[in-house]
Formats: sequence, C-alpha cells, structure tokens
Amino acid sequence: MVHIDFTINGQQKALDIPADITALELIRSLLGLKGTKEGCGIGECGACTINVNGRAINSCLMLAAQLDGTKVLTVEGLATENSLAPVQEKFMENHGVQCGFCTPGVLMSSHALLAENPDPNDEEISKAIAGNLCRCTGYKQIFVSVREAARLTQQKGEGGND
Amino acid sequence: MTDIEYIRPLDLKEALDFLWDNGEDTRIIAGGTDVMVDIRSEGLDKKYLLDISRLDELKGIELNGQELSVGAGVTLSEIYSSRILESHALALKKSAFSFASRQIRNIATIGGNVAHSSPCGDTVPALLAHGTKALVADKKETRLVSMEEMATKAYMSCLSPKQILVKFILTPYGDGFADFQKIGRRRELAVSRISMAVFVKKDKEGKISFLKIGLGACTPTPCNMEAVEAFLTGKVLTRELIWEAGGLLAGNMIEITGRRSSAIYKEPAVQGLFMRILYPMVNV
Amino acid sequence: MKPQSKYRSIGKNIQRRDVLGKIKGDAKFCADLDLKDLNLKNMSLKDLSLKDPLTLRVLRSSRHHAEIENIDIEKAKAIPGVAGVFTAMDIPGKNLMGIINKDQPLLADGKVRSKADPVALVAARTEEIAIKALAAIDVSYRDLIPVLDMEDALAPDAPKIHEKGNILFVRKIKKGDAEAAFKDCHTIIEKEYKTHAVEHNFIEPDAGAGYVDEDGTLVIYASTQNPHYDHKEVTGLLGLEDEQVRVIQAATGGGFGSKLDLNVQGFIGLALYHLKKPVRYVYTREESYLATAKRHPFIIHMKTGSDENGKLMAIRMKTFCNTGAYGSYGIAVATRSAVSGTGPYEIEHVDMESSCVYTNQTFSGAMRGFGAPQMAFAHESQMDLLAEKLGMDPLAIRVINGFKKGSTTGTGQKLMDSVGFQECLQKVKPYYDQASKDWVTKKISPFIKRGIGLGGMWYGIGNTGVQNPSTARIEMDQNGGITLFTGCADIGQGSTTVLTQIAGEILGVLPEEIHVVVGDTKFTTNAGATSASRQTYISGNAVKEATDKLSSVLLTEGSNRLKVSKTLLEFKDHSIHVSGNEEKSVDFAWLARRIHKKGGSLSWQGYFDPETIPFDPETGQGSPYATYAFACQLALVEVDVLTGEVNVKKIVAAHDVGKAIHPENVIGQICGGVAMGVGFALMEEFEYGKTISMKDYHIPTCADMPEVIPIIIEENEPTGPFGAKGVGEPALIPTAPAILNAVSNALGKRIYTLPANLERVLQASIESGQFGPSGHFGPKEKNNV
Repeated sequence: MVHIDFTINGQQKALDIPADITALELIRSLLGLKGTKEGCGIGECGACTINVNGRAINSCLMLAAQLDGTKVLTVEGLATENSLAPVQEKFMENHGVQCGFCTPGVLMSSHALLAENPDPNDEEISKAIAGNLCRCTGYKQIFVSVREAARLTQQKGEGGND
Repeated sequence: MTDIEYIRPLDLKEALDFLWDNGEDTRIIAGGTDVMVDIRSEGLDKKYLLDISRLDELKGIELNGQELSVGAGVTLSEIYSSRILESHALALKKSAFSFASRQIRNIATIGGNVAHSSPCGDTVPALLAHGTKALVADKKETRLVSMEEMATKAYMSCLSPKQILVKFILTPYGDGFADFQKIGRRRELAVSRISMAVFVKKDKEGKISFLKIGLGACTPTPCNMEAVEAFLTGKVLTRELIWEAGGLLAGNMIEITGRRSSAIYKEPAVQGLFMRILYPMVNV
Repeated sequence: MKPQSKYRSIGKNIQRRDVLGKIKGDAKFCADLDLKDLNLKNMSLKDLSLKDPLTLRVLRSSRHHAEIENIDIEKAKAIPGVAGVFTAMDIPGKNLMGIINKDQPLLADGKVRSKADPVALVAARTEEIAIKALAAIDVSYRDLIPVLDMEDALAPDAPKIHEKGNILFVRKIKKGDAEAAFKDCHTIIEKEYKTHAVEHNFIEPDAGAGYVDEDGTLVIYASTQNPHYDHKEVTGLLGLEDEQVRVIQAATGGGFGSKLDLNVQGFIGLALYHLKKPVRYVYTREESYLATAKRHPFIIHMKTGSDENGKLMAIRMKTFCNTGAYGSYGIAVATRSAVSGTGPYEIEHVDMESSCVYTNQTFSGAMRGFGAPQMAFAHESQMDLLAEKLGMDPLAIRVINGFKKGSTTGTGQKLMDSVGFQECLQKVKPYYDQASKDWVTKKISPFIKRGIGLGGMWYGIGNTGVQNPSTARIEMDQNGGITLFTGCADIGQGSTTVLTQIAGEILGVLPEEIHVVVGDTKFTTNAGATSASRQTYISGNAVKEATDKLSSVLLTEGSNRLKVSKTLLEFKDHSIHVSGNEEKSVDFAWLARRIHKKGGSLSWQGYFDPETIPFDPETGQGSPYATYAFACQLALVEVDVLTGEVNVKKIVAAHDVGKAIHPENVIGQICGGVAMGVGFALMEEFEYGKTISMKDYHIPTCADMPEVIPIIIEENEPTGPFGAKGVGEPALIPTAPAILNAVSNALGKRIYTLPANLERVLQASIESGQFGPSGHFGPKEKNNV
C-alpha cells in the first residue's frame, strides 16, 4: 500500500492505495467518478484522458501512486455550480457529441489545450486531440466545437480552472 | 492486485542505492507508458516499482560548449517545445512532433523510449545521427554507452538491473539541414513502419562535407549507417545519387536483418523515404 | 435568400436530448453502473455483503475447431470468492441464439467452432478472482481439423463446421439473360476484388449489468442496438416468460452493427437466474476484438458489360463472404450484397450470386452497410474501368446509367419516387470539374501525385425483403403532458431527438417538451433494430402514426369545444386554436381531462412496416425495400509515390436523404461515415489471431480526416415521415470506392484489395513506374519545384 495526497476537482484527498493500480482505476473504482472512461486500457484511444497539473494525460497509463502531490481535474470538475465550462457549452451547441463515450476525454484534451493556448489554429487543435479517437463524429463538429470554445474562452478572459 | 511496493526516491543517489541492493526485484517506472502496458498484458512479477519520474538529476536540456545534454527524464512534450533543440538538434525535436499522442508525450520520457529498446523507438534515429552517448550510472560508477550498444536485442536494453540511464550527450549541430520523418499507418498515434533522421552540411562548392543518418524501425537494435554516409560525403547531391544511396541504405538494412516478409515493403520504402527526406537538399 | 421553412421542428438543428449528461460525465454506460444503480428498490445489501456487483468472465475456447470431451469446473468453484461457475448444462431454456438463423450456443454445447466460443461462465467477487477461476477450469478437447479460410471451407472434403455444411446460404438474383447479353457487349470488364475483415471499434467496449428486482424480474442493462431483440433472446435462453425479464438500454457508446448480436446480455441473464445477485460484465477491448462480430471479408468476382456508348447491358457477380463460426447477420449480408451489387445503375441483364461461408474464425455480422460497402468498392471500380476502356469521363458514364424515377432495378423493382442519384451527381459535378481542371493537374512535387475519384451508391432502407416493423406509443396525461414511448435504441446517431421532432411537429410543441421513455422493455414496445439505416424512416413513421392518432382525437375534441371544423384548427403552445384567431383556443390539459372523462383514449400506438415484395425463390425478383438512399462522393487524394502513403485531402459528399429532419445530425453521420470510409479504404485490416488490441488496429485520428463538404439533397420520399429516408450507412458506402478510384487515377495502376494500405499502394506505385528518382515527373522533366 502507498499513501498519496492530492487534489481532485478542487477537493483534497488523502488515501492509502495499492501500489499497482492505475490512476483510472483510482478515479473510477475508489473515488466513484465514472465520467472518465476506459476504452482500451493501453493509451491508444484517449477515452481516459484527465488533466494532471494542467496537462492532458491518459489515466490508464499513470500509476495512481504518481498522482501524489498533484492537482487532478476530471470531466466532473469542469463545470462550476453555476455554469458549464466553455468546452462543455460549445460541444453541446455545436453537435460535437454523438454516442458520448469519447466525449469526456475529448473535453479534457480540449480544456488543457485552451488553458495553455486560448487561440489555437486547426493544426494545434489537431495535435491536441489526435490522441482522442472518435468513431462516431468524424471529428468535424468536434473541431467546430473547440474553435467556438476558444472564442468563448477569449471573450471570458479565462485561462482554465485547474 | 499484488503486494508490490511503490518506492519514490528523493534523489538519484537514493535510487541507485536502492537498485544496488534490489535491482533484480525492481521495475523502474518513469513516464510509465511502456511499463503500464506491460503490466496489463504480462502482469508484474517484481517486488518493487521504483518511480524515477521526479528525479531532478534526470531533467533538463543544456548546451555546454560541444556537449548538448538531454536528461533521460525529459518528456517528449519538453522535447517538442525545446528552443535549444530547435537550434542544435532539430531532428530530435521533430521526432517528438508525431510521437504517439499529446497525452503520451506529456509523460513519456526519452530515457524510457530508449531503454524500452523497441526497434520502432522514435527518438533513436536522431540520437544515432547525433553520435549520442548515453550516461549510465549505478551506485559505484558511471559509464558512457553509444547508441549502437544500448540494446542487446529487440526489447532488451544493455542496462543491468542496478543501472539507471541518466542523460544523453549529443553532439550539437548548428548550421545545416536537419530533419526527421516517419512512415506510419496513419498520421498520428502510429507506430513507425520506418523512421529516419538526417543531418547534412555542405561546403562552399555544394559538396556534402558532413552527413549523418539515423534509421529507425528497420533493424532490431540501433545501427549506424556509416557506409552510406561515407558514400555520399564529398559528393554533390543529385536525385540519382540520393536514389543510389537510398538503395545502399536499404541494402544495409537487409544485410542486418535478413530478408524478412516486411522487406517487400521496407526495402523500397527506405529508399523512398531517404529520397523524400534529402530531396530538398538538391540544388540548394 | 432561403425560403422560410413551413416547419417548426422539422429541419431544425435543436440540441440533442441526451447531450447534457454526456458532457458532464453523468451519462451512465453499463461499466459505470454500481450497486446503488443496480438496486433501485429496497433489497437490503447487508445479507448480500457485496461492495461491488459480481464480476462475470467467460472462458473461451483454446481451439479453432474441436469437440469438448469434458469440462471440469470443480477446482474453479472451490476458489474463495467464486459465486458460481456455469456451463451449457446450466442453461434452463434453449441454448441457441441467432438474429436470423439460430446456430450459436450461449455456452459451448459439445463443440467449439472458433477461439471466440464461450465454454464456461464464472461469477466472482472481483475480477482478479474471476481470472483465477478461469485458469482453474479444465477443458479437454478432441481436436478437429480447423477450417481457417473460405478456400478451405469450400474444398470438397472440408470438415463440416455445422451439420448442414459450410455454406450457410446462397442468394441468387436473375433478370434477363446475362450470358447471352455479354456476347453482344462492346466492352466487358471482368475482375476480382477482395476485402478484409474490419473491426467496428466503437469506443465503448461491450458491457452489461443486472440485478433481480423485488418481484423476481431479471433486470438487465445492456449496451445494445436492439433491447427488444435482447429481451426475446434472453427469455428464450432462460425459458422464462416475457414479464420475467426486463432489458433496459443503457447509454450505448456506438455499435455500428456489432451490438445487434447479444454480447454479454445472455451471460448476465444466466448469472442472475442462478445467483440472484447484482452482476456486471465489462469486456476488455481485447475480448471485444476476439469475441464480437466483424465485417464480412469478401471475394467478389464481377463481370460488367456495356455497349459502345457506355450504356450498361449485363452484369454477372459471384461473391463469397466469410461469416466465421456462426451465422449472425450473414444471410442478410449475402442477400443485400446480391441486391446492391449492380450499383445505382440500370442494367437489363443481371445474374448475381452471393454465398455466405462458415469458417472457424470469430463470427462476422452486421457492420455498417451489410455488404454494400464491399459491393460498392467493386461496382464503382468497374464503372471507372469501363469509362477508361471506352475513353469516357467517369462522371458521364454514371449519369448515363444512373437510376432516375421510373428506373427498374436488378430485382425488377420500379423506382417510383425519391430517386436522387442524378441530383447527387449534378451537385458533385462542379467540384469534379474544377478538380479535374485545376487541382489534379497541379504538380506540387515529383513525388506527390494527385488523383480524383468518384463513388456512387444506393442503399435500401430497412431489412432486405422481409418484414421489419416498428411500433411506438404516445400518451397524453391529464395535465396535457406528452410522453413518447419507443423501443428505438439511440446509439449516438440522435434517433431520440429526431422522433421527438416528428411528434413535436404534429402536436405543435417543442420537441424538448416531450418526455421520452426509450429502450426499456417494461414500458416500450419493439421498434426493431437500430440498423439498416431504418429508424428515421420506420420508427419515425410509427411515431408519426401514433401522434397522428392522438392529434386526431385532440382535434375532434377541440372541434367540439371551439365549434369549428377540424380543418380550421391548428396546434400551438400546448393548445388548439382556430386558424387566424389565436384567442379562440383550448389547452391540452382541458382537452385531456375531457377526453378521459368521456372514456376516450389518450394513449395511442403506432405501427409501420415498409411495403416490400419478398424475393421470388427462383429468380430473386421482388421489391426488397420500400425506399432507397442515394449518394455520390468525390475524393481528392495525394499519393506519395515513394512510400505508399495516401493523404485524402477532400471529400465532397452529396447524399439524398429524402428530408433532413435534423440537418446537423445528418452532417454528423456523413462526417462519421467518411471517417470510417477512410479507415476502410486505407488502414483498417483485422487479422484473425493477430489483431489483439488497439495497438494493432488503426482507425482514423482527426489528423487523417479530409476536409468534408457535405451536400444534403432532399428528394422527398412520400412514404417517409415528412419525406425522410435514412443516412447512417449511406454515409460510409461511397467513400472507400471514391478514394480507391482516386488512387488509381493518381497512379495509373489499380488496387483490387481493401485496404489499400502502405504495402499495396507502394507496390502499385512501383508497378506504375512512378517509384524512382524522377517520381511521376518522368526522367525528361525538369525539377521545377
């Protein structure tokens, strides 16, 4: 067992966990946050993408123990009490969601991108989400959604809330 | 779930001390992108997981005169955005551009990529082209290992269980033409079928004064391509010459690997990629 | 200026029903269901002492083809934490499943026919214990000779995989006399085409969960495209009555045809039957790859003949498709292939034969298009080959032969309405002309060769030549609130939204004001499968019928109340008012109470089954579909002649959908279909036994996507709800043919196998002479770049 202290979606956690579980297992099974999905377990689909210290990473490839001392953000932490995050709002408005299974991962990759680069061009968007596979949308409406979210982010003057 | 123990040493010394005593029973984890996949498919028959991802001694990209050092713990994302590498090891920087995905680049390390010893490791061609030496340490000593010696065979590094890869020491290249390209089955998130790094310098007469080639995903372990480099040095590049050299390069590959079924594609494709990567240097 | 729409909801891009939960991460897919979700009533968990649902895992065959001599489960049962181990002997009902022909046991019954075959089911407290139990099960096999490919299966002395032999089914379609007609043809093209197995690769691996309700009902949550079929299959397996099983479609992360067969539902049901405890089964991706349906690989032999002007005269096609160990949708795939193999073209003499062959591999089943994508690769290549031989333009030859209103198909069906193929060609033409003139001729480098290609298609909406009805129910409560009940599974394509748009349009309410109950066999009725691009057309019509009935009852009452004829009444804002006089109105609540008081019904059922004529058993003549979708796509590609890489730069996609009830949904389907088509064309090849995980199989990333120009064409389908047909599969079908035609145009060398991967394209480049130091510029041309 190993002891870790970290924050997730703004909440402090202190846990004793098995040494070899993944961050994904920690988030889904121990913390009961089911928004982050397992699509392949080996970092090839991006459905498990979360933000750790502001960076998008595949939670299936990180040891839960490596979350010690970090700030973690999952899809459940994007919205505030009063409003959705720009990426969430714009994905809804621009039909960027079909079956919804890749969506949390895409949102987290997009959110990390906009926090770092509020005005990305298409090439930059592509680099940010190429690791998020979608089988439903063909990505077009996803790009529209991210572009619109960038516009909204700039308007709001926000950088992100991780 | 096993009884495996997780150890996170605070500095390199602590890590090396631990490995000296427990190396045989330990799996080292840095970015985790290879380790975690192995754990899922094979399980882990070790007692310890040693997390070296936060060791400061393994970080940093520095230029000191004629030595460009890249810490083994530097992530592919850091390589992707490094200004120093842009000026002095562009091929290495470019090898990060289509490396897996952003999520993986954010945690995968260059040390992990090299130590994993996959024939398709994308950082290897540029490291080869830069005549890189890897600094390898155990509790008692450090030694320099060339890229050609890093892997004993595919997926088996030369590192002993007591050792850690600390940093890579590259010869910096300033003026000249540098590039890295890969061929994959799709444009992102693809294992390389073939990858290649080059660095070329020309003299005042337009003849090649310096040429280094790194070839990836074509040999079981990293190999130098000195014969082809020698063939082209001192010559003026033409398309026909590049084509001929590409043929030699492909031939070198076949000599090393034997004629496998993948050679039907790789033999012409190596020649093709070599043309694609060097062709901008014709008449320039 | 765009004319103002006469509709309030139809044609509007309203926000989708289910999207809020999905962007918040609240939507529950089966793997997300925990004990608190699975035990909604009052069962005390204390005596169950469970922290999680029991984990289910299946032991699969280690042989391709063998008889089972013995299964020893005793050691496995004895492991602490194992709740149960089950074999075929524990199946109380009939151990045979199958969506068309029943040839697939839930658990192996004396024989295994592939390495995907389930042999035993384990239920355990944790996944770790379940895996240990699997390892402790001893199976003794008596090996039989494996039949690994179609050639082996069709050999005269081939071992029989099923008792009836290795050919599951043959569909023949014959019109006129093709053999005689070929003698009169000016130009004949005869080629063989090959396609490989493809993996659906929905992003959500198959999963299910369940519990036993306080009244003993087995409640099963399923990731599924057809909850009512699941229900029927599970009651049959367990020998239970309808009311004893309830299937609820959970949020489903894509299906594309694979989630039509049972995945885990039968195992969940069996475990619940015996253990009466909450259970969950989530496939790993590796298990999903091994155990679920694949797209049928095909060998297609096609001979097409035309006169000297390019008018098609005859076609003969013989195909074999590999259906693997079990039938699944094989019969439908063979049948649809025989129909669609002519392409959207008038051909007087037709001789089609499609055979479905068993092998000892993972079974093949429904996969977006049911054989039509494979056929389109063949028939569109043939059209280009004909055009080339005749010195004709590829677009022109399609215009000459393409279906119009009044055309007769290969099965002798006269297409009366909604035949938009010529319109699709015309809409693509300006892009095609421009690309031919300006784009394809541009020499951007000696080593990048541009090409353009067309792909046409037609696709029958609904199941082929068989009844496939849908039902729906709409209810108004006494406050005027409206609830729509539909068994139609929404798997991300947006059917729930579209159905509320239809109902909302008729009743003059906003779609979002309609409450929906979807895919729950306790409350909904069978809408048929979400497949064959059928739900907008068929469930849409069922919903329309139900809503029309409710509307009629409301209008009658409204007419009574307002003392004007029904024809002078309109719906708006949950009321009925007199046309031109909104003050004179009566609201739904009043009407509902009135109707209820009078003993009238506020609950109305709708039913729709497309009008088809079944195939003549000898000639295959008939009307297999009530309506067809049509499309044409144009692909602009750049081929790297040095490496075999293909970059699809642009796809112009013109689709006749009848009516786009939700245009952004249609565009979403088109873009998603193009993405899948790019994969099918260039990079997706599922190799039995070798493709293990997502490291081995490549679906397109966003970086592989071309620019897509979707063009929606609305050739009103009079029998469709507000004129709508369907688009889900049509979106995919023309893409790979267009890309392959473009690659051929670029290289001057054609590829006859899908996928046109790196190896095949480089080989073609070498054979074309463009692989060399001059590239495609040729040795004499100067390098001007």
